[in-house]
Order: sequence, then C-alpha cells, then structure tokens
Amino acid sequence: MIKIDINKKLHGVAGEMVLQVDLEINQGDFVALTGQSGSGKTTLLRILAGLEEAEGTLKVGNEIWQDKETYLKSQLRRIGFVFQEYALFPNMSVEQNLLYVEKDKELCRHLLDITDLSKLKNRLPYTLSGGQKQRVSLCRAMMNRPKLLLMDEPLSALDPAMRTKLQNEILTLHREFKTTTIMVSHDPSEIYRLSNRVVVLHHGAITKDGIAKEVLLQTNGSQKFSFEGELLDIIKVDVIFVAIVSIGQQLVEIVVSEQEKQNLQIGQVVRVGTKAFSPVIRG
Amino acid sequence: MIEAKVIKIENCDSLHIVKFDFEGQALSMMSLELDSSVEVGTKVLLQVKPSHVAIGKNISGELSYSNQLESQIVSINAGKLLCSIKVQIAKDTILESIITNSSLERMELQDGDKVIALIKASEISIAKVL
Repeated sequence: MIKIDINKKLHGVAGEMVLQVDLEINQGDFVALTGQSGSGKTTLLRILAGLEEAEGTLKVGNEIWQDKETYLKSQLRRIGFVFQEYALFPNMSVEQNLLYVEKDKELCRHLLDITDLSKLKNRLPYTLSGGQKQRVSLCRAMMNRPKLLLMDEPLSALDPAMRTKLQNEILTLHREFKTTTIMVSHDPSEIYRLSNRVVVLHHGAITKDGIAKEVLLQTNGSQKFSFEGELLDIIKVDVIFVAIVSIGQQLVEIVVSEQEKQNLQIGQVVRVGTKAFSPVIRG
Repeated sequence: MIEAKVIKIENCDSLHIVKFDFEGQALSMMSLELDSSVEVGTKVLLQVKPSHVAIGKNISGELSYSNQLESQIVSINAGKLLCSIKVQIAKDTILESIITNSSLERMELQDGDKVIALIKASEISIAKVL
C-alpha cells in the first residue's frame, strides 16, 4: 500500500493553485494519471520521486518516505522513473546504461530479453530508434526492482505502431514484476489497455477516480457513443436539415429535423451522440 | 421529449431493459450501463430521433416494435422526397416522424388520422434524469 497525502502551492499558467492529493494505492496497481496540462500531474510524480518538496506525508509499505521528521532523499527511494525524453547516458552502451543503476547482470539480461533488446546491448543510444531508446529507459527504470514505477507520458513522442508495441511491453513487465505504477497519459486507448485505475487531476485536485471505462466513457444522457464538436453549418435538404459538425480532425454530417434544429446555433459547441446499438463498426 | 417514469429494470451484466410508464402507455428501452440515478420510480425525459419513428395505420398481426404508442396526426409537412409528420401521443406531448413521401401516399395519411407511432427499444434513450 502506498499512502500519499501531500499539498503544495504551485504557480501555474492560470495563476496560483494548490496541489492537494490524498490517495491510497494498492500494491501492484497500475494507475493512470490524467488531466489537462498544468493540473499538477508531473509535479506530483516529482514529489513522489523526491525531486521536489511538498508538505505532507508519503508512505510506501512500511517505509516512510516523507513526514514531519523524515525526508528520504531521492536516491534512497526505490523508484523507477521513465520520462518522455529518454535521458540515457550517451557515452554508455545499452547494457552499461542498465548496469549503471544496479550491477545485476542476470536481471539486465532478462529485461533485455523480454523487451527484445538483447542484440542491441552493445550499441550506443544515438544509434537507436526512439522506440528502442524508450525500451532501454524502461528496462533501466526496472533495474533497481523499484517499489514504485513512475512514467511521465513515456510514449507520447512515438508513432502509433511503436506505441502499441511498447504498451504491450509495459504490460508484460507489469505482469511479471507487479511493480506498483503511476503513469501520466492523455491517450484513452493507452489508459484503457494498461491501467486498472484512473485518477483525474484538475487544477491540483482529484476530480475523478475509478476504472477507465467509467472515468473516460463520454456519455450523453444514457447514450454511450458521444463526441463533442463544433457546429459549423446547417443545410436545409427537403423537409430535413443536415448539420455539419467538426469533431477531432474530421467533419461529420448529422440529419436533424426542423424541431431538433430549433435549439442549435452555428458556432456553438455541441455533443453528438447516439445509442451504443446504432453505430456500424468495420475493421 | 417524452416524460416517463421508470417502472421496471431488468439486466444481464451491463445490458439493461428499462420499462417506463408514459401516461398509461408502456415504453421500453434497451441500454448498456445505466446511470446510478436511474431506478424504479425515477422520472426521466426520453428522446428518439424523428427518423427512427415509424408510423402504423390499421395494423393487424404482430410487430416486434417494443414501443407502440397510440397517437393522432396533428400535422404533415411533405417535401419532395421526405415528409415530417407530427403526432400527438399525449395531451402535451408531440412526437415527430420523418418518413418517405411514398409511404405517406401509400398509407394515405391525413391530419387527424389515428395511427400508431412505432419505436424500437434500441432507439430510445434517456436525455435527462428529472
């Protein structure tokens, strides 16, 4: 069990705010931390890692990392940290990067094995692709058998195919080592695939906490298929109207009747929804 | 919108069939997860797309439509290919149906006709919990 009860004043883009987090995380949980930028996600990770100070207490199992009397230095907390940028030592080979953390050759071999990196162990980081570098970072973070693995948008710089591959490797590692993990992510598919709990931070405070399907499902009344978009135009066709709405990177058309049209104004933000029974899906 | 009261909820895992009372007529809705605020006795506003409302006249035989509302046509607005028909399903509730003109002509629908508004249970949704 990890007990977090911290607060810290932050000077964000939107002015002053208080990061106030009271959270208990079970051993082995995979927690996705999400929310708008500037909501305090990265700061929370840094506080957990001991890279930034805050008021309050942190307890990991029976170990106190922080309370009124104690402040455990970052190096003494058994933490693995994976950043968006890879932060590898450029003058060390893949293997040396891992062994620098802990001289455990067997673990090093095993980690490189399951992430398919064994053949690259003597290469220097600059010769690797982004995906390979991030796999090395991930293995390196596991070398001290961390009690807590922290990942700050680890896959956001990668292309979609590489993301999926690394998500699978993160899952494999998590299943094998059962490391309690907190990962900052904005990607719903990533959160759904990896996490068993999602915590949403908004302006420094937890606003939602639950499983991915509950927290991230966009609903509209009882409708489960719902998107937010901007109403661009309404075109009359015969006795009906066609509303043009921009959703994400694309335009969609929705047929509306005269009655439905009455509450709509061009330019407004609208929610487009239908029942989960209606959409047709094709692979 | 149809204001109705929940009278029964059946479920199988995340799938639900919710039955409503609307002015003495029974309605039924298929749904996946239900909001926790929806329980027997809850009043809700139900919605349906006008293009999902069919019209029946002098129906004989059985239809699979779970929702068959006795109603009366109050207006018909015919276009070139489609028409919008408004039917009164209760004193203060009007439902709109968009059907093809050819159906309108084939059925010889007229203002004041007694008809049945037909809606599949999978096409009704809760717009708002009251």
